Amino acid sequence: MSDHVWLAVALTALGTFLIRLLPLLWMQRRLARRQGENGVEALPPWLSILGPMMIAAMLGVSLIPASPSATTWLATLVGVIVTLLVWRQLRSLGWPVLGGVASYTAVILLARLFV
Amino acid sequence: MTLSTTSPHNRGWLLGLRDAIPLLSGYIPVAISFGLIAIQSGFTPLQAVLISLLVYAGASQFMFVGLAATGAPLWLVVSMSLLINLRHLVYAPGLAPSLNNSRWWPWMMHGLTDQIFALALNRLPQLEPGQRLSWYSSAAMLAWGSWVVGTAVGALTGDWLMSRWPLVGQVTPFALPALFLVLLAPYATNPRWAISLSLAILTALMMALYGLSNIGIPLAAICGALCFQLIKPRRPQHV
Repeated sequence: MSDHVWLAVALTALGTFLIRLLPLLWMQRRLARRQGENGVEALPPWLSILGPMMIAAMLGVSLIPASPSATTWLATLVGVIVTLLVWRQLRSLGWPVLGGVASYTAVILLARLFV
Repeated sequence: MTLSTTSPHNRGWLLGLRDAIPLLSGYIPVAISFGLIAIQSGFTPLQAVLISLLVYAGASQFMFVGLAATGAPLWLVVSMSLLINLRHLVYAPGLAPSLNNSRWWPWMMHGLTDQIFALALNRLPQLEPGQRLSWYSSAAMLAWGSWVVGTAVGALTGDWLMSRWPLVGQVTPFALPALFLVLLAPYATNPRWAISLSLAILTALMMALYGLSNIGIPLAAICGALCFQLIKPRRPQHV
């Protein structure tokens, strides 16, 4: 790898870190100026909405299977349903994820047996 | 040792590790793929690992090695890689109300990936203030470590691994949407949130299907936020 590529790695690493860091410093100063307020109240309203929306957008992108086919889409649908059902029962973080992955795997394996 | 008998600080570390475990099944296969692609693009295993250690941003790393392999100019490689990461601008301010003034927090922002943000946004407010830094540190370090180790494994053995156990690589990435789903599920009882979040999910899904996933994430989030603003909140019923 040439020196130029190392420079590109260094600039990308520094730039990525600053993209994550600088908004924190801005927000901490804003919160410090509004010390009397509750943290959530000092948060600009658009920001408290945008957080969950970013998660939703990432969910939308991550739902697309790596190799899309009827089977993997069906597995995704079953995985989503099972994840939500397990969450409804247990209201925990790990078990619904495990249930979703297990059901996704089961559909893929069943499809291999019967299709 | 159980969670209930440990000190708040140690409990934060243990909770962070426990909460971040579901992330690993999403991180490791992608990290292995990155290691494999980096090698195929002409990077050495050490270089691939250093990129994961220093840049630590999935999509932009793929873009970086892809563009560098084609001999693209330095400014283009850097600017395209950073452009993908611009969505991270809104992450830290969203977490800031839950953070104290510890001098460690700014350094911890290196670990603020999409998934850690999603996890922290939900979990930090539920924890005692004294547990939050240790919770975040352990969750972020486990995720970062798995990303770096996964890259090394991919760079050294990726070809063999994927041909030996293709099913593992195929099914474990589903842990990621499952995790996002669990984080959003509590909002589903409120129609205003449910409709807006569904719109954001569908918009991002459609844009990703057309190959626009990176720009699709911020755009879909903005669509969802606008929809949320347009829907009037329900007034409490007076009897």
